[in-house]
Amino acid sequence: MPRAERWPRRAALLALILATAVSLTPTIYMIDMSLRDSAATFSPVLIAPNPIFSNYVTVLATSGLERFFLNSAVVAGGTVLLTIVAATMLSFAIARLKMRGGGLILLMILGALLLPLASLLIPITVLLKNLGLTNTWIGLIGPETAIGIPFATVILKEAMEGVPDELEEAATIDGASSFTVLRRIIVPLIRPALIVVAIWQFLYSWSEFFLALVIMTENGQKTLPLAPLYYQGPYMSDPGKLFAILTLIAIVPMIVYALVQRWFVSGLMAGGVKG
Amino acid sequence: MELIEKTNEARDDQKSSRSRAAGASFRQPRPIRRRGAVLGARRIEVFLYVLPAALLFCLFILLPILSNIAASLVSERGRFGLGNYVMAAADPVFWVAVENSLLWVVLTLVLQIAVGFFLAVLIELHLPRGKGLFRSLLFLPMVITPSVIAIVFTTIYAPEYGLLYGVFAWLGLANSFPALLGTPSTASIAIIFVNVWQWSGFFVLMYCVGIAAIDREYLDAAAIDGARGWSRIRHIIWPLCRGTTLSLIVLGTIQALQQFPLIDLMTQGGPANASQTLATYIFQTGFTENEMHYASAIAVVLFLLALILVALEYQLSGGGIALTSKAGHAAR
Repeated sequence: MPRAERWPRRAALLALILATAVSLTPTIYMIDMSLRDSAATFSPVLIAPNPIFSNYVTVLATSGLERFFLNSAVVAGGTVLLTIVAATMLSFAIARLKMRGGGLILLMILGALLLPLASLLIPITVLLKNLGLTNTWIGLIGPETAIGIPFATVILKEAMEGVPDELEEAATIDGASSFTVLRRIIVPLIRPALIVVAIWQFLYSWSEFFLALVIMTENGQKTLPLAPLYYQGPYMSDPGKLFAILTLIAIVPMIVYALVQRWFVSGLMAGGVKG
Repeated sequence: MELIEKTNEARDDQKSSRSRAAGASFRQPRPIRRRGAVLGARRIEVFLYVLPAALLFCLFILLPILSNIAASLVSERGRFGLGNYVMAAADPVFWVAVENSLLWVVLTLVLQIAVGFFLAVLIELHLPRGKGLFRSLLFLPMVITPSVIAIVFTTIYAPEYGLLYGVFAWLGLANSFPALLGTPSTASIAIIFVNVWQWSGFFVLMYCVGIAAIDREYLDAAAIDGARGWSRIRHIIWPLCRGTTLSLIVLGTIQALQQFPLIDLMTQGGPANASQTLATYIFQTGFTENEMHYASAIAVVLFLLALILVALEYQLSGGGIALTSKAGHAAR
């Protein structure tokens, strides 16, 4: 390698390592705080000496966090599933069945992409109250799915338009119904896009705070994003236990992302970002 | 009626499906009625595919928008008119919230785009290997729940025992440590920084995708023309990432406008409403103070502000924004 090119490379590597260090510091701090006794949590250092694991033991045994986990798992799972099914069907109707009025629906979807959630919050809450759906899983799954459908449809519709017509025609000649075409031909071919949508919707649902805050008012129905608020008071004098809870909440999506990030990135790369 | 069906038939045949055209000639005796039945069945079929999404969309997006507008036109005492909007115009906290929302949009966009583009260039063009590792590590904050992040950063910013205080003390500046979240002039900036910390990795990833999609021939041609270093970035790569930038601007605008957990959990819009944004003010007026109609009016303003900002960005970009790329509710 010519000498002139070696230096920029080293500088680039150094800059990236620095940026990554800054980016990781709060996460490392959070994990280390969860490994401290209550005295050490008030020491302003990144890594404290003598880590302990008793915070996790106490929290797992006594906090009741598993109820929050259950609620979050059901809501996130339901939201991902429902979003994928509804958005795939809608995209299929627009992209492959060339439905009439598809352009109008697409326009409405693009409009919905520009809606800040806060501007829908009050009427959604009133609606759920009238339907008797506050403090139910469905009460969160419904709105979260509706909010996720526009983005999912945009991605899936683009992916479906990339599937060559010949495959579908061949299947139709063989007498396949449109549902068979969707299930056997389209879905397998757009798997990367489906994975991107599923991961994105999972991360959104797992972190959704605003809706959950106003819809899940009973403690037994609360999802994980509400847990920090719930435990802040009881663990005020013992932040190590609060941080053990924070770490437990954060670790699930971290593991999920670590497992699937390969497909997420390659799905994004395959779709490309169109200008 | 017959004419319409005939045109439909013609269009249908044109569209392709040789088998069906053949089938039509097969069923010569009563072609029109048969075809009408097929078309009807197809319409029902399409309707069934659209139904689940349409139902959810109407129930949880369309209906709420309309009922929100309706609610904003009725005062708390039940009088019809623009009273809530007049009230907002005279409410100093409302204007603080508007200012802060705009500050959020501008600052998060500028910083996230600068950091995201710069780091993506380093990763994609100056790193022989380990690209995936840096992309993933930088993306990590994106997967952490904002309400968790809020508590972590509140502790980092805390005077006397927070991590940032430790850094100041180490530098011998302990006495000049600012109570970032407790001071009106710095509260918003301190929370905006947290947003930038969380979202920069996403911007990096999107720019990496954008740069990777650039045709290598452009870069080779630029190299032959002697464009390297800064001028290559400025004149070749940045313009070719325009689509990514525009998508990120739209997405980032909506994301900044709807940020709620960080502000609510770190300052609750305080001190003295200094870090209030439209999103937190809607929550405060609607749910804490129980003035639902007034909050609805602010919600309409927020929606209009989002539309105006995106329209403005669309204009300034020369109409080049492609909403069909990965923009929008991704922001949630």
